[in-house]
Amino acid sequence: MSPDPWIWIGAILTLMIFSFLFKDNAFYKFGEHLFVGVANGYFIALYWHNSLKPNLYDQLVAGNFIYIIPLLLGLMYFARFIPKISWLVRIPIGFIIGWGAGISIPAYFQAEILRQVGGTIVTPESFINPLNGIWALIIFIGVVCTLIYFFFSKEHKGILGHTSRLGIIFIMIGFGASFGYTVMARVSLLIGRIQFLLGPWLGLIK
Amino acid sequence: MKWYEVISKIDRRIIYILLTLFIILPFFVKVTIPQNVMPQTQKLFDFVDSLPPDDKVIMIAFEYSPQTMPECRPMAIALLKHCFMRNIPIVGVSFDPQGPGLAVEAFATVVDELNSTALSREDSIIYGEDYVYLGWKSGRLAAILEMGESIKSVFPRDHFRNSVDSFPLMQRVRNYKDVAIAIILAAADYPLDWIRYAQTRYGVKVGVGLTAVMAPKYYPFLQTGQVSGMMSGMKGAAEYEKLVFEHGYATELGTAETGMNSQSMIHLLIIILIILGNIGYFFSRRKK
Repeated sequence: MSPDPWIWIGAILTLMIFSFLFKDNAFYKFGEHLFVGVANGYFIALYWHNSLKPNLYDQLVAGNFIYIIPLLLGLMYFARFIPKISWLVRIPIGFIIGWGAGISIPAYFQAEILRQVGGTIVTPESFINPLNGIWALIIFIGVVCTLIYFFFSKEHKGILGHTSRLGIIFIMIGFGASFGYTVMARVSLLIGRIQFLLGPWLGLIK
Repeated sequence: MKWYEVISKIDRRIIYILLTLFIILPFFVKVTIPQNVMPQTQKLFDFVDSLPPDDKVIMIAFEYSPQTMPECRPMAIALLKHCFMRNIPIVGVSFDPQGPGLAVEAFATVVDELNSTALSREDSIIYGEDYVYLGWKSGRLAAILEMGESIKSVFPRDHFRNSVDSFPLMQRVRNYKDVAIAIILAAADYPLDWIRYAQTRYGVKVGVGLTAVMAPKYYPFLQTGQVSGMMSGMKGAAEYEKLVFEHGYATELGTAETGMNSQSMIHLLIIILIILGNIGYFFSRRKK
């Protein structure tokens, strides 16, 4: 068994959280509340030392008074707690939305629409390797049929009905893959904890 | 109670016990379930393996958190070993507030292991010459964009508060032109920002190491070439560990490879439980 007290604390807290699998209890609640408290403390300290202090406090102390503008914008967020001046909160929100939309829309359009549409186009070059050509065709059919499934302006009958049903099959395969990956992810986390308990704590495995 | 009712109403606590047993057993009973290397992991490994030593840097973004360490930490360890053994310089960054502690731990683990067998200063991994960890920065969109112009303007100091100008490595790393590939080890959607801004705008190659939950979302980017290689979940980590081991960059396999036997056993158990549940549901519906 490990002589390191931190390993023991980690192991005991892990077991406290796992105890929820049996039923809700005081040990689980203690572990949960401790986690929330520690996480909050960590984030406050990190943001103060790595963000607020160097980017605002130190700048103001050094006489860079232009930083009063972001300070005021930040303070305006708290205006919502005072009903008389709560409208002030719209200014920083408007600033953030304007900046965010400006920076995100072109990048999103380029990276996730134009390039993705380009990726579905089947060209003669796609068939240089016949197997790649087949995959390119499947992707093309999958994208078209899935889009047709979400086309609601016309009743899904006839050719539209057949293609939208094929679209559902593609969507279901996507859901299946996502579910499989989710199971793998959750099991991985459990394996990680068991490895910690059996290895560093109990010393039963390397 | 009929048999089909029994199999469709198994107590969840029995399932938990079975899960635990199926995870623990492979650690004590020798079970070897072969693992194939998927093309996306091979692609990432081949890219890193083809880079000339002591030339452009690999930028690694440590964006995972303690709860996803079983998936992302083995990726980080295997990748760091691969780079250091090939003398490829590394610049580490984080935009996830939980990243710095884990990045420092991963660097320390690999550097200590490699330096313990080093015979001379030339063989050793030296901070500032072979790698630098720049730490955490808030406002990642602006930071990722600005690094295309100047990395030093975003990170004037490293994680340990040293001026980056004091490091020989940072003298030759100005912006993305000096970065061969940015590999994002992430437990949340940070790689999307690298694809949208660093890759699309500056043409930086982006590789990803993701938790398995995130992987399906990134296959389209792999197909279009926006992502140059991918490790997905514990399996991806195990594959990279296997490649690093088989090519002689590591003396032993890591925790992901040993965990994959448990993973495969659990998958078998879950498949059996899904089949049993469906049989129970099918028969109980027929009886009604």
